[in-house]
Order: sequence, then C-alpha cells, then structure tokens
Amino acid sequence: MQARWSLWRPSARGWLGILLMGPSAIVVAFLIIYPLARALDLSFQKIRISRAGAARLPFTLDNYSRALGSDEFWNAALVSLAFVVLVTLFCFLIGVGSALLVNQRFPGRRLARLLVALPWAVPEVVAATIWAWMFDGSFGVINWMLQSLGIIDAPVAWLSQPHQAFAVCTVALVWSGYPFVAVMALAGLQAIPGELYEAAQMDGAHAWQRFWHVTLPSLRPVCAIALVLVVLRVMRDFATVFVITGGGPVGATRSLAIYTYEQAFSFFNIGYAAAVGLVTLLLCALFSTLVVRRSVAA
Amino acid sequence: MKGQALPAFATLIVCALLLFPIWWMLVTAVAQPDDLRGFPPVFFPTHPSFAAFHTILFDRPMLRWIMNSAIVAGLSTALTMVLGVLGGYALSRYSSRAVRAAGMSVLLAKMIPTTLLVIPLYVLFREYGLLATLTSAALAHCTVTIPFAIWMLKAYFDSIPAELEEAAAIDGCTPLGALWRIVLPVSLPGLGATALYAFILSWNEFAFSRTLLFSAPENWTVTIGIASIRGEYIIAWNEIMAASAIVAVPIIIVFLWLERYLVVGLTAGAQK
Repeated sequence: MQARWSLWRPSARGWLGILLMGPSAIVVAFLIIYPLARALDLSFQKIRISRAGAARLPFTLDNYSRALGSDEFWNAALVSLAFVVLVTLFCFLIGVGSALLVNQRFPGRRLARLLVALPWAVPEVVAATIWAWMFDGSFGVINWMLQSLGIIDAPVAWLSQPHQAFAVCTVALVWSGYPFVAVMALAGLQAIPGELYEAAQMDGAHAWQRFWHVTLPSLRPVCAIALVLVVLRVMRDFATVFVITGGGPVGATRSLAIYTYEQAFSFFNIGYAAAVGLVTLLLCALFSTLVVRRSVAA
Repeated sequence: MKGQALPAFATLIVCALLLFPIWWMLVTAVAQPDDLRGFPPVFFPTHPSFAAFHTILFDRPMLRWIMNSAIVAGLSTALTMVLGVLGGYALSRYSSRAVRAAGMSVLLAKMIPTTLLVIPLYVLFREYGLLATLTSAALAHCTVTIPFAIWMLKAYFDSIPAELEEAAAIDGCTPLGALWRIVLPVSLPGLGATALYAFILSWNEFAFSRTLLFSAPENWTVTIGIASIRGEYIIAWNEIMAASAIVAVPIIIVFLWLERYLVVGLTAGAQK
C-alpha cells in the first residue's frame, strides 16, 4: 500500500510522464529522427542507391551546389510554388465558402455539413484516378461538358499538354484539400458568439459589414492553422500528381516531391535526392514558422 | 422558413457539383462497356452492370491487395494505438517540460515530405532485410499515424475528469492501473475513433507503400494496385472505377457514420 501511494506523489509524476512518453519517443527516434540524420548524411555524399549502406563516401557539398545550380530543381520549386498558391487559394475559397453556406439555417443542414466534407473520405489515389478519368482526352466527361457548353470546340488532350495537365492536378488537389478548410472554418464559425452579431446589428451594421468586421476577423486564428496545414499538404503531396501525370508532360507538373522521388528511385541518385528533399523540408519549416509566428503575434 | 429556401437550394447545387466525382466513379463502375465510349455520357445508369466488379475481384489480384492493405493497416494501427495511448495520456496527465518537448517534436513530423523520409527508410529497411515486406510498409505508416494519434488521444483524455483517477488512487490503484482499469474503459469511443482514423490513414497511404513494396507485387496494397491498372496500355475505366469504389465506399460510409468523431482527428494537434 505504501509503495502504491508513493507512485502518486508529485515527485514521481515527472518520471511517470517520461515512462509513458518513452515508447513513442523511442519509436519516433528510430522511424523519423534517425532516418532524417541518415538522409542528411546521404545528402553530403555523392552516392547512388546501390552503394547505400556500404562504407561512407567522402564529405561533399556537391549535391547542394548541383541542386541550386540546376534548372530542373528551380523548375520543380516553381511548380511547387504554383501548386501551393493556386491550390491554397481555391481550397480557401471553396472551403470557407461552403462552410458559410452550410452554417446558415435551413432544413437538412446537418446532412449538408456531412456532404460538403465528403471528398475528404476519398483516398487520394482514388480521387486522382477519378479526375484522370473525368479529364480523359477521348471519352472524359469534362470534355463533353465543355463542348456542350460551347466553351471548347474539339476535345482537349488534357494530360498531354503542360498547362492543361497542371490544371488537372490543381483541380484534383483542391478537391481533396478543401474539405479540411471547410471543417476548420465551420468549427471557427460555430465558435463565434451570437452576441457579437447582435452588437454589430445594434450598431447598424449591414450583413456585408457584419461579415467583414465580425465573421472574417473571428475566423483568422482558425484560418492561420488551416493555411499552414494546407500548404504543407500541397508541398508534400506525391500521390495526386504521381497518379495523374507522373510529373509530366515535360516537367510541367514535376513538383519538388516528384523530383525528389524521381531522382532517388528512377535515376538512383540517392544523395542528390536527399539534398533536394532536405531543401524542401527547410522551405516547409521556414514557411510554417513564419505563419505561426505572425498568427501568434496578431 | 421563407428565408431558408435560398440557402437550401444553393447548398443542393454546391453539393451536387462537389460530389459529382464520387457519383461519376460509381456510375462508371456499373456502366455498360459501350456507355464508356458513347456521347452523351450516361449520367443515370438504367441498366447497371456488375461485370467490372466481377473482373476486378476475380481476374485481378484485387482480393490479395485488399488483404495486404488490411494487414498493413492493422499492424500500424495496433502499434499506433499502444504508443498513442501512453503518449497521449502522458501529455494529458503527466505533462512536464520533457513530455511536452517530445509531444511537440512528434508534431514536426507533419512537416517532413514523405518523399524525403522514404529515402533513408528504404536504405534502412534494406539493411535490415525488411524491404518489400508488409512490415516495412506498416512501420513507415506509423510515422504518419503515431503523431496524430498521440494528439487526438491527448485531446480525448483531457475531456475526462481527473477525479476518476483520484478516486482510483484512494482505492489503492497504481497510476498505470488507473489508466488501464478506469480511464481506458470510459475512453472507448475516443479509442475507437482514433484507431479507425489510423486505419484509414494507412489504408489510403500511397508514397511509402509504392516505394517500399513496388518490387514485390505479391505484397502490393490496394492503392498501388489501382495506380498500376491505370498505368496499363489499354485502360479499362469501368474496372478501375470498380476497384476505386471497393476501396473508397467503405471509408465514405464510415465517414458519414462517424463524422463527429473523425473530425476531431482531422483537427487534432491543429490547435496547438
């Protein structure tokens, strides 16, 4: 009995916490931290995949200088940036828009809230495959729709032209990405106290002014978090682009993630790929810190 | 009631547009082969055909892929739940500077590009002879599932009053005994939602699986399988959509049924 009581003493609490967190910490160290260190080590060697694990090659910065001096790398960075900007923009427009819509009072809004977020439940590979089929150049339903609406005259071979293929990937990324924004925005909207709107109404604010001065500022913290997570998701995305275009045509959709993968597992330049991947990670970390800092400061 | 018709109508249109791809997947899966090449497309199938489901299930290794996916997801979920419960409980009840530091560093895993992490994992698994085994994929999936499970369970444990454990202490329980006998039984809904979410994350995962398992077709998961059919020269879209439906529909049903609980996972750790 004595021993049992002593385990509840405040002095034992610190140790208990460490004991409980320990297993996760060890597994994470083995599966994430040690591998990251290995990736860093690989990035400082001029190494191909077949040699990995053998004796260490001499230290070199070649991989980094090669990346920063190559057009392919900057092209991939540009593609990633373009995806991030466009996909984030549309995810927020559709996500916040649909959240505002289903936050209104109308019969069936519970079901509507469910349905609006439903694409989240579709696996990325499946979503990408569906969009590839819808944008199919010969029998795709999108070509038929655009032709019937008179927007295009002849079927478009979406996936074999650079800009069109980029657009298809963007659409697919937005479709899988907006539900998260919608869910976050809806949670934010429901947390706004009704008194705020009443007070604004008393002061004679119109609907538009209430939206601009009450709704949007209240959504800011939630949106900052959603922004970070959406940007990280797009930066790290591999499945959608890989399934739809594989990075083509002529590199039009070859993002940093696809470029890293291609270098590592198609060309076997594992050291170079690790360098590119680490630069990507650095960009992700910089961006997240910036946004988090700003949103905390605001 | 009068002012409600407009938002209801607008929502109907928006939902129809946003959910059209899911509808199109289902329609294509049951389409007659001729309908796939006909214009105008058939939007509402009058004579659904289930031949594509038959082909995909019995002429292709779909059942094998499904089994592999289930094994990988089951393994990673099991490991994730053990670690997630302990870690989440530590963050909720035994938080100290060291514990919080560990918890935060776990969150940073969300920033690491999969395509980067998979490179050293590939090398490591090859060194240990695990490459192309289901275990390798399950372990790799844990890098995704453990971080979120710890934070999702922390949020759940936070909602359980600490008085429960105080009472257990008075009754002579050890701290771990209190977790096992008192806290876990009342946390079953949270545990179930977390496990389900971890399972779904692993089930849907592509980048790790594709890299680690690609050289062993007998160990392919459903996501690799679906992507591989599309890579073929002649694409049988009804078969791909049938396979997609088999993979996606169970998850869609789970989502519709348990959305309330799963959304917690979607935003878990986001508030921190």
